Amino acid sequence: MLTVENLSAWYGEAQVLREVSLQVAEGEIVTLVGRNGAGKTTLLRCVMGLHARVGGAMSLRGADLTALPPHRRARLGIGWVPDDRGVYATLSVEENLLLPPVTGPEPWSMEEIYAAFPRLKERRRSPGTRLSGGEQQMLAMARVLRTGSRLLLCDEPTEGLAPVIVEQIGDILRQVKDRGVTVLLVEQNVHFAASVADRHYLLAEGRVVDALDNAEVRARQDELLEHLGI
Amino acid sequence: MIEQAFNGLVGGAFYALLALGLAVIFGMLGVVNFAHGAFYMLGAFGAFILLDSFGIGFWAALVIVPVLLGLVGMALERLLIRRLSGLDPLYGFLLTFGLALILQDLVRRQYGVQSQQYARPELLGGTLNLGLFDYPAYQVFVLALSAVVCGAVWLLLTRTKIGMIVRASTEKPELTRALGIDVSRWVTPVFGFGIALAGLAGVLAAPMRAINPLMGGDLIIVVFAVVVIGGLGSVFGSVAAGFLIGLVSALGNLYVPALSQTLVFILMAAVLLWRPAGLFGRQEGLT
Amino acid sequence: MKAKGLSIAVVTAGALLAGCGGGPGGGGGKISDGGVTLAVLNDQSAVYADLSGKNSVTAVEMAVADYKAKYGDKAVADKIEVISADHQNKPDLANSKAQELYDRRRADVILDVPSSAAALAVATQAKAKKKIFIDIGAATTELEGKQCNKYTFHYGYNTYMLANGTGSTVTADGAKTWYIVYPDYAFGQDMNKSFTAAIQKAGGTVVRSDPTPFPNDNFSTFLLKAPNLNPKPQVLGTMQAGGDLVNLVKQYNEYKLQDKGIDLAVGLMFITDIHSLGPDALAGTTFTDPWYWNANQQNRAWADKFMAKTGTRPSFAHAANYSAALQYLEAVQRAGTDDADAVVKELEGHTFNDVFADNATIRAEDHLLLHDVELAQVKPSSEVKEPWDYEKILKTIPAEQAFQPADGSCRL
Repeated sequence: MLTVENLSAWYGEAQVLREVSLQVAEGEIVTLVGRNGAGKTTLLRCVMGLHARVGGAMSLRGADLTALPPHRRARLGIGWVPDDRGVYATLSVEENLLLPPVTGPEPWSMEEIYAAFPRLKERRRSPGTRLSGGEQQMLAMARVLRTGSRLLLCDEPTEGLAPVIVEQIGDILRQVKDRGVTVLLVEQNVHFAASVADRHYLLAEGRVVDALDNAEVRARQDELLEHLGI
Repeated sequence: MIEQAFNGLVGGAFYALLALGLAVIFGMLGVVNFAHGAFYMLGAFGAFILLDSFGIGFWAALVIVPVLLGLVGMALERLLIRRLSGLDPLYGFLLTFGLALILQDLVRRQYGVQSQQYARPELLGGTLNLGLFDYPAYQVFVLALSAVVCGAVWLLLTRTKIGMIVRASTEKPELTRALGIDVSRWVTPVFGFGIALAGLAGVLAAPMRAINPLMGGDLIIVVFAVVVIGGLGSVFGSVAAGFLIGLVSALGNLYVPALSQTLVFILMAAVLLWRPAGLFGRQEGLT
Repeated sequence: MKAKGLSIAVVTAGALLAGCGGGPGGGGGKISDGGVTLAVLNDQSAVYADLSGKNSVTAVEMAVADYKAKYGDKAVADKIEVISADHQNKPDLANSKAQELYDRRRADVILDVPSSAAALAVATQAKAKKKIFIDIGAATTELEGKQCNKYTFHYGYNTYMLANGTGSTVTADGAKTWYIVYPDYAFGQDMNKSFTAAIQKAGGTVVRSDPTPFPNDNFSTFLLKAPNLNPKPQVLGTMQAGGDLVNLVKQYNEYKLQDKGIDLAVGLMFITDIHSLGPDALAGTTFTDPWYWNANQQNRAWADKFMAKTGTRPSFAHAANYSAALQYLEAVQRAGTDDADAVVKELEGHTFNDVFADNATIRAEDHLLLHDVELAQVKPSSEVKEPWDYEKILKTIPAEQAFQPADGSCRL
């Protein structure tokens, strides 16, 4: 599905990604694990085309992404759920959902969205930023589901949320996976990551230092937590 | 008193139209368009030139001039302003300020600084009875038209798909692109539209104000104060502040004429102390 | 210092020569820096650019040509240069440009300098450099009052003369109650004071006077207020100039104040203002004009020559620049030198007639030019026979009545 080869990225003089290569297969959920500043968010932004200073190559289902502007990448079926959730204050909840164009063959209908997220239906006329943190996270995810994106880039969807909501998000991700959607997930919560994902990449100082499956994650849990500084 | 208040709203109509264009442009492009006053001036000159050289009257000018200036604005965005995206806002200031000086000088070269004549449209030559008082029909028309235009823009922004995209692009341009919307495609028409609004205000000014190359530069300083009071980039705020400032300066002239020069700026300072983002601005929009 | 010593030597030699040779000849020996330089310093880009501006430079060049034609090879000043600079109506710029003109560009006289603050700045430079300055464009009476000096002359008009002409006449003709609006800066405040004094002297009252923002494009508050004042004023006296005046008059007509019994009187009006508004917008308005191009055959003949060079009819400022340049050169001719002190001596008390100034005297006490001025009325377009034919002369105000008596406030 997604192939990243030798991806490097800079902020000014500082190199934040160093020749990162990774692959995500169709229908997989893959997480990027690593400390703050390891380059996880930058990696997602690079895939989205939002980072200007990059080297290396990226392709989606064999189509070269490298030269495409962000909106073209979105139209190829990449859906971004940013770490700040990216909810528009000047748009109502419903407008937030309707803003992005449909890009995939199997978009969720508004009925499906509202069935899955009843709170969003209740609040559909209020400005997006009136929602609670958890509701905003739901809105950000619902928004890319409605477009029918085939690859979701989710940046720390569980950060700062109550355990019950984290569980809901896990349910949604599994539901998404059942529909054959691919997910690249940035996650600090190792338990959560192991509970939803198939595979994991460990990032440190802009490099992929390890690739792990779920069994390895469970086996090396203490070591990983220590590495993440949690 | 009521008559004076009404009269303030007529003055505010010009501020509102100009501030609205500035706000839309600032929101979408992040550029404070210092050439806005020059386009207001070109609007008035457009009406004058159409009548003087082509015998085309006020009513046609009301449509032709904003459309032409809108196209000029779009070309300008494509050729010049676009190149500044991603650079320090200072460059936008320098470019648009320089543009204002160039446009002003080109008009001066051709027409000199003395004011040009432009007659009121015959249909609006009389006075209207507004119940409590008589008022010049032309000014009633100016107020009504600008209220309708501001209202239409408001509906366009809040009730349509285009408006939704413009609001989204204004608020979070990067995210909006990442959600699959080609923001740059909308930047050009929005800039042109803002310029067209300035042109419309200029045409409306032609029959009642002095038409000369300096008319825009003098006015635009107050309009910047209006935009700041309303909240930078806030469309609703700019319109509301436009009418508010019209009202305040009319009543200020009436009761404290000695302060009439500075009243708007005193108000601006007070609003900034009380609400640094302006009356209707979002706090986070400024950081 | 060296240059000054040299010029004194040259002047002395020149005086000796003149004494021996009998009458000034064509030699350049009495002229400093190898020639006479006339500098026009005015607004060539902002509000006063059309009513004076570059065309005043042309007017000064016409004066030079006429001087040369009159004296031929008997001209004392055989090499005359006309230069100009733009002060953009900014006093600080006027100040630095005046220094530059006097020092580096060797100007012997600076002409025009509209706007009071700029004129007062240049007067200070003239005093410091001991070089002549003839102001035309500014209205303030300070130039011949407290801030007068030996090298500064005021030529053409001032606030007293405008107020005395328009304010007194309109009041004496029966409009006893006035509402004055004036732009809130030095010129407007001066005009307000002068008009109030003139109106009261003529037996009228000023019901109210309001300062307005400057510049301003919206006078509606004041216009709406006018009919509701108590007592209701018979005249709205506007002291606005340029674009502000055009705005005010357009809106005066918009609110139909004339139909409500309030006439318009304009403090300072240039013919370019009438041209901007169209005569009908101002028809019947009375104002004081120092000079009108179509008042008589002599003026008209000069205006024709001016038009051939510039494509437009002259304002009074253009004619005054011509006259000031000519009278300066005549004074050089009489003095036989361009030495400033000698020329000042020739200008003081000089009486003359020329195309601009009738029955003119340069008053020795304060260096104010006294001359006949016109009380004019704007014609309706039905009486306009040709472009720029906008004024009907109601009467001529004789020089001694037109201007203020010397009040002793000026010590040269």
